[in-house]
Amino acid sequence: MSSGKIISIHSFRGGTGKSNTAANLAALVALAGKRVGVVDTDIQSPGIHVLFGLDENKMGKTLNDFLHGKCAISEVAFNIGEKAIDAEGRAKLAGKNLWLFPCSIRGREISQIIREGYDVNRLNEGFQTILKELNLDYLFIDTHPGLNEETLLSIAISDVLIIILRPDNQDLQGTAVTVDIARSLDVPNLILMVNKAVPKYDFNNIKKQIEDTFKASVAGVLPLSFDLADNASKDLFSLRYPDHDWSKALRGVADVILAVK
Amino acid sequence: MSDETIISQLKKSFLFRGLPDKVLIELGRKATKRKLAKDAVLMRRGDVGDSLFMIVQGWFKIVAEDANGNELAINQTGPGETIGEMALLDQAPRSATVIASSDAEVLELKQDAFYEILDQRPDLAMELIRSFSSRLRFSTTYIQKAIEWSQKISAGDYSFIENTLTMSQAEGTDEDKASQLLSAFFQMVHNVKDREDQLKKQVENLILQIDETRRRQEFEEITSTDFYADLKEQAKKLRAQRAAQQQNEK
Repeated sequence: MSSGKIISIHSFRGGTGKSNTAANLAALVALAGKRVGVVDTDIQSPGIHVLFGLDENKMGKTLNDFLHGKCAISEVAFNIGEKAIDAEGRAKLAGKNLWLFPCSIRGREISQIIREGYDVNRLNEGFQTILKELNLDYLFIDTHPGLNEETLLSIAISDVLIIILRPDNQDLQGTAVTVDIARSLDVPNLILMVNKAVPKYDFNNIKKQIEDTFKASVAGVLPLSFDLADNASKDLFSLRYPDHDWSKALRGVADVILAVK
Repeated sequence: MSDETIISQLKKSFLFRGLPDKVLIELGRKATKRKLAKDAVLMRRGDVGDSLFMIVQGWFKIVAEDANGNELAINQTGPGETIGEMALLDQAPRSATVIASSDAEVLELKQDAFYEILDQRPDLAMELIRSFSSRLRFSTTYIQKAIEWSQKISAGDYSFIENTLTMSQAEGTDEDKASQLLSAFFQMVHNVKDREDQLKKQVENLILQIDETRRRQEFEEITSTDFYADLKEQAKKLRAQRAAQQQNEK
């Protein structure tokens, strides 16, 4: 078994910018010289591959194939540092150690796995194998929103759980349940990240309120950004626009991850 | 019109300011007198201009058209003022329409007459170039200021407002257009800064609340399944294994 850390990125509801955050955080950590893997476990609505410039044509074996017993997990690995450096931001990852484990984006394969389900234990075995074989420092798991079985598994086995929420009451309510579950499952490190905060609010006040509510630290309050929306997942925003407020705040979150013992 | 009046009138225009009085008197003598009845058009926007006008008496309105073609008076001018002096040099189309708002009398100086004097006195051409050059320098200074300030504004730095207070107070005393532009610019920055300060004051505090009953219910729902109990057990084992593994590695 490896001593690499499993970092699960979760949000209770969709639309929080979870995949975008996961991809950018993984890239920032890889940029810092770490060996990093990213697994997309959002099987029902995969999306993180887009940020790494992967489309159906470039995609080989997927996590679905592994879960159905059709291939080994190592065959799913897509080497970002070698293959996906076709955009200005991603180009900075050239030669870095970053692997993506994508889900299938074929409708038929998605509906099959939803219909038939899969063994979550096999998913867990896959994580452990990746950590060991690639000698990873960090394995990021982009989870499906909500609290279904594979998400609970990701939370249960993670060393660090990052919960992303928007500063609104619906997200807060869902996050409360997730925080309780994470504590019940003894997750050693719980980090909150607020995304899409409207600039007219006082960010320090948001941070304090949420920290007081959950007794957990908020690693960053990131602004709602038209620039980010305009990037439309075409590239890794924080690498392409490192001086943007969103990118600066995300680097703060990456630093928190890198500091976890 | 006396020579004295003509001299002082022509000297209001930057173009003639540096020319000797003798030349200005000569220019005045070449000008022809024209009488206009109220509502007569002195020049029309777009016309090719080839003369300047000195207003002797009466008033004129400078007129633009709005989007619907309606006449819109944007300024007025009266005795002692000079209109259209740039036409003497460049023959560019008139930039606005000028209409007599009362019975009026003007002195018109044609481009031909002006050129005639220039032919006889090459030193005057030199003088004209000098006044253009100084005017250009003057304008450039203002443009540079405007660029410098624009850069500061886009960086969110408004500190120059305090240091440059005299500039805005010069408004109305300096007739030069560059200065007027800068005054308007300055006023704009003031307004933008005020609005921004206002917005900063409005930074709101979000009120966040959790329904604790619902929180407990949902937690119970998830944690009461067999899957969860099994998962919790497995997670505990896995963590213990990994902790032992890491201990061994050390």
